[in-house]
Amino acid sequence: MSHQLKVDTRVTVETPEGVDFQFVIAGPGKRGMSFFIDALIKTGVAVLAFLLFALTAGGTGDPSGVAAGIMLFTWFCMSWLYGSCFEAFWNGQTPGKKSQNLRVVRTNGTPIGWFEAFGRNLLLVADGMLVLGPLALNTVGLISMAGTRRMQRLGDLVFDTMVIDESREFISRAPGITQGIERIPRFQCRGRYQVPERTLAVIERLFEGDRLISDGRREEIARTLSVTLRQRLGYEDAGPDPVNPNTYFAQSPTKHTTFLKRILKTFSEDMNEGEVEPAVSPLSVTRSSGSIWITPTSRRALGGAVDEANPAVAAGTTIIDENASLEFLHDADVEARGGLPEDWRPMQ
Amino acid sequence: MNRERFIRQRRCDWQQFESLLSRMKGLRLNRWSGHDISRLSSLYRSVCYDLSLVQSREWGSRLEQYLNDLVAEGHNCLYRSPPRSLDTALNFLSDGFPRLLRQRKHFFFVALALFLVPFLAAMVTAAVDPVMAEQLIDKSNMEQAGSSYEKELYRNIDSKFAEERTLMAGFYVWHNVGIAFRCFALGAFFGIGTVVTLLFNGLSLGAILGYLIHRGFSDNFFSFAISHGSFELTAIVIAGAAGLVLGWGMIHPGEYSRLESLQIHGIDAIKLAAGAGFMLMIAALIEGYFSPMAIPHLVKYVVGSMLWGLVFIYLMYGGRGGLAVALSDVDRSGSGQARAITGAPIPESGESSL
Repeated sequence: MSHQLKVDTRVTVETPEGVDFQFVIAGPGKRGMSFFIDALIKTGVAVLAFLLFALTAGGTGDPSGVAAGIMLFTWFCMSWLYGSCFEAFWNGQTPGKKSQNLRVVRTNGTPIGWFEAFGRNLLLVADGMLVLGPLALNTVGLISMAGTRRMQRLGDLVFDTMVIDESREFISRAPGITQGIERIPRFQCRGRYQVPERTLAVIERLFEGDRLISDGRREEIARTLSVTLRQRLGYEDAGPDPVNPNTYFAQSPTKHTTFLKRILKTFSEDMNEGEVEPAVSPLSVTRSSGSIWITPTSRRALGGAVDEANPAVAAGTTIIDENASLEFLHDADVEARGGLPEDWRPMQ
Repeated sequence: MNRERFIRQRRCDWQQFESLLSRMKGLRLNRWSGHDISRLSSLYRSVCYDLSLVQSREWGSRLEQYLNDLVAEGHNCLYRSPPRSLDTALNFLSDGFPRLLRQRKHFFFVALALFLVPFLAAMVTAAVDPVMAEQLIDKSNMEQAGSSYEKELYRNIDSKFAEERTLMAGFYVWHNVGIAFRCFALGAFFGIGTVVTLLFNGLSLGAILGYLIHRGFSDNFFSFAISHGSFELTAIVIAGAAGLVLGWGMIHPGEYSRLESLQIHGIDAIKLAAGAGFMLMIAALIEGYFSPMAIPHLVKYVVGSMLWGLVFIYLMYGGRGGLAVALSDVDRSGSGQARAITGAPIPESGESSL
């Protein structure tokens, strides 16, 4: 558990594998939504039970006692056991939580047990107390959530649980950053033609799509890094084109951001990514048994240069080229991996 | 290793992990095949490794976030609460619950006093002077109680009996268990809610009983209430004790921090409340089906006393190693010897005094 002071809603948990990872704590909005959905379901079932009761009464006006007993029992289950049972049997989720991708876990990241599930749902009574007036629902719970780092309501505090947000999107580099950007040619740099990965990561963060930064502010931020990087690389601007100087001056308000994008394009991308795939000549490598699998990039980089005589290929290992890694997998390896990405193809 | 190359090499595994995970999350636990489990766990470990690599090299927050979420999802899928069987639940009810209650007997006695003192006081007051009783509870309530016990409210067992009884049993579950759970939950406010609930329930029940005695309906009432009262009243007091345990954890943390103390006491409290809920279910069944049967009062008194004895034995000897121990304890042959017979020492504090 990290004791760093944080302003975001993440909690670090260490796995038994010794890796630290973070959970995102669910806020009142999503929890409120799941609470609402659960309430709808509960009410729906209770109303169904009531309808059953009313139907058995029929036109006689003499309702069946059994139906009434079942109705009351259903009401009891809905108001007291619904959340507990779902959370206990569904690994910390109710239908509402599932729809919002929420889950209840212990604060150390392990799943909750029966008693935790039961207890935190009973304490909804205390959390749901109306303190400020008839409209202030769940006031105690909200105050408690506002006051704790893991946004725990009273029931969570007592039973050492928290509600986490499991929704996840596929994250790769924000698309389109480097579209239409030119590489920095080697000859323009007098220094080392190299940028560390973590610097590239910092640049990437600057261009993340979910950041609300105006272009002017981004340029300001980019400036510091851009100036340092220019010194390091020994890069110099070409200066205004004597034929058409307007272009240069029109671009100068985004000079630094453009430079950082070029850095990103030059150093963090594959040579051929996003460009038209060149025609590949069939490779001459053959194996006595089975086929060899190869990535398109490796194939391009090879360009037919590898032949049977290459010992590395024969051994089925990875050859590391200056430009790209060449990867080969034999049939047995493919079996062991349990499948192959779509873009891999067999070499004849 | 270059980052792009790393991603290119590992992406295949990540995607496999993702698809396997989403498939297995949808499956019931007993449908998981051994092959899938071993593949999932080995992929999970490799993703863990990738995450720590990316973290240590600071290879960008987006990549780290992606791997982090993969690990989190895999963690929640692989590390889950152990499957509980009916056996666990039965074991808790037969052994764990009475044992826990004996450990926390002080709270039980305090809750008992909080319930019993106003109960007796109100009963005596109302029996002697019904005008005083009207100060304690609403007059219409009292009239209603009076009219319902005026005559014997028992029914013959006919076609209508089962229906009406099911209605009442459902009502008792809904109403009484609800009261007990609320009584527990209000303990979260430093125990104040629980104390108030216990006091008021004691007062109003006592006043009604006193009024009935004054009107001379006591035989009708006692023969009706004695059977289910055993489970019901005990369970209400236990639920109160649970609320007090919770409140005590807040008020008096001792050598723990307030939060830690709350958590330690909280888990005990919820176990007590769960046991009380179970007892109230039994009480509701008795109250619904047995208590109103049209049989001689004497039978009811006998059965009722036996039920009280049963509750006493259950709470006193449950979880001490079975009936043999209970008998040997009664024979004053010493609990130590009895435990030796069962072979399993039972860790419990402060047992000898009981």
